[in-house]
Amino acid sequence: MISNPEFQGGTTEELVIEASEAVRRRKPGRMVRVGDHLRREWQLYLMLLPTIVWLLLFLYKPMYGLQIAFKDYSIFRGIEASPWVGFEHFRTLFDNDQFLRAVKNTIIISAYGLLFGFPVPIVLSLMFNEVLNRWFKKSAQTIVYLPHFISSVIIAGIVITALSPSAGIVNTVLGWFGIDAVYFLTKPEWFRPIFIGTGIWQEAGFQSIVYLAAIAGVSPTLYESAVVDGASRWQMMWKITLPCILPTIIIMLIIRIGNILEVSFEMVILLYQPATYETADVVNTFIYRQGIQDGQYDMAAAAGLFNAVVAFVLVISANTLSKRFSRTSLW
Amino acid sequence: MPGVRLEGIVKAYGALRVVHGIDLEVNEKEFVVLVGPSGCGKSTTLRMIAGLEEITEGDLAIDGRHMNRIAPKDRDVAMVFQNYALYPHLNVAGNIAFGLRIRGESKAAIAAAVDEVSGILGLKDYLQRRPAELSGGQRQRVAMGRAIVRRPKVFLFDEPLSNLDAKLRTQMRAEIRRLHNRLGVTSIYVTHDQVEAMTLADRIVVMNNGHIEQTGAPMELFLNPVNTFVAGFLGSPPMNMVKARLAAGAAAPVAEFGGQTLPLAPLEALRDSVGREVILGIRPEFVSVAGEGAEHRVTVDLDLVETLGSEALLHTRLDEEPFVIRTGTVGNAEGLHDVTGFTVAPEMIRVFDAETGTAFPGQVHVS
Repeated sequence: MISNPEFQGGTTEELVIEASEAVRRRKPGRMVRVGDHLRREWQLYLMLLPTIVWLLLFLYKPMYGLQIAFKDYSIFRGIEASPWVGFEHFRTLFDNDQFLRAVKNTIIISAYGLLFGFPVPIVLSLMFNEVLNRWFKKSAQTIVYLPHFISSVIIAGIVITALSPSAGIVNTVLGWFGIDAVYFLTKPEWFRPIFIGTGIWQEAGFQSIVYLAAIAGVSPTLYESAVVDGASRWQMMWKITLPCILPTIIIMLIIRIGNILEVSFEMVILLYQPATYETADVVNTFIYRQGIQDGQYDMAAAAGLFNAVVAFVLVISANTLSKRFSRTSLW
Repeated sequence: MPGVRLEGIVKAYGALRVVHGIDLEVNEKEFVVLVGPSGCGKSTTLRMIAGLEEITEGDLAIDGRHMNRIAPKDRDVAMVFQNYALYPHLNVAGNIAFGLRIRGESKAAIAAAVDEVSGILGLKDYLQRRPAELSGGQRQRVAMGRAIVRRPKVFLFDEPLSNLDAKLRTQMRAEIRRLHNRLGVTSIYVTHDQVEAMTLADRIVVMNNGHIEQTGAPMELFLNPVNTFVAGFLGSPPMNMVKARLAAGAAAPVAEFGGQTLPLAPLEALRDSVGREVILGIRPEFVSVAGEGAEHRVTVDLDLVETLGSEALLHTRLDEEPFVIRTGTVGNAEGLHDVTGFTVAPEMIRVFDAETGTAFPGQVHVS
């Protein structure tokens, strides 16, 4: 017998509806719940605080300066006093052949990077997963992770030395086969392969950790079940491991697409030279030259904003497509 | 020719032995349940039969073929796992068809097999759904479908119902048994749930600490447990264990405990053991509530009454030890709170040696 005066309905169905509505009425508001959560878990929020402060100071506060992309900015007048010029800088940028070349190079380098660089960590993680000898596995993992922890300057130094036309190992080996020394770093056609190859060498091992973690999350009984069903190791890799880590692959792909215009700035600066600008100059190096070297901060800000807007559109599009076709998404 | 034969099967991880020489013959079309507490070696034994664990010592034969060194895929067994082991990226049809695809069956044969199995298991409406979109019971059916579709010689079930709620478990239990009756495939089923074992099995194998304690038909084990472990493991609530001493009686030996006596069956083995410490095994179902004045009545202190509907569990204390009585409630509900004693037929008392825990010989109860 229900004695609560809130429940006035007759049939069971009506009683259930009334009961659920009563529960909803009693549910505290969102702010109250957030407040309760803050009070209960304050230690976690305290630990989160430095990161929030960092984000606000270094990623959100600088957004205030984005307005100089629409102003005739002068460091003497400051951001506030500089006059508005609307889309003037954007028009200038799109009339600038160097900028258009930088956009084209960025897209080409990123596309090649995605095409050749993105699968490598996945393949590496699948290979590590198949290695049964623990000693060999750990040694190999350490070796491929190592370049990530080496400074880009040193990596570039190693590449430059290795490709040196006089004493570099590559040209020495080519010499054994009677091939003349190639001036790799001064030839525009060689920049992209060298840059992408260096990036893969430096980061593929470290990036494979994400996929190895995803593989570790695959239930061992899936493999056991497949073994009983008669699957070979190759079949298990293709039909179980790879599909099971696909959501992680898609998430990483979305993030990668969002960063498609963020070509490794330091490495380009370290490896390129005027002779290779034709294929090596990217949006970030263009911004660097315009903003820092030539002091055109407003123009550089416009180029940077363009970069960010394109990245934003790309990441939204990739996420939407992924959600629609693979049921996996970043948010 | 037996479906599956295990001879002296041992499993050791380094110096640690977890299965100590199992001997078991599972007949063709038989449904055998391995039951025992966690860590008793039942799942390890099943995994050795499947080929997922290497056999340290002993011989395994399936359908007469020596299997120790044969790869799992060539043993012609199918296994249903506790957590279903469904491939999350495949729909129901894909999951059921997985084993056939791996073996390179033709598309037409796969489609026909999936259609037949999904019909048997009532999954036709869910073929396009992914595991995440299915209920626990449906997932379990898919897992069984994947095993059935290959038409193996032996089904191996590793606690397949333990992730389901009580109601669904009862329903799926009946479905598994019906399926076995229909397909007639030799089945070995592992569980720690004695109710599952009792209801499903043609034969139960009770395991403990890597040994087989007793093998037999469910009622045989329920009525004639060979030791206190089996007696305590099978039955819900479990058999009451009362410490007592054997004494000589007028016609038959009696058991003395806490100033009370109970007449026992007139068995030679009991007569020869007068004066020995024993344990009386008395099933809660085999005792009758008795008022004062009843012959051979044992008095108890009532602690708690649990009413289950048509019957009730009376939690009492006998000689300061817990003692449970199962009794009917119909026309009797009010009087349950006034219970002070019970009687039990001498032949329904199982007498175990207190030192070894084994049953005295000659006690055979027939249901």
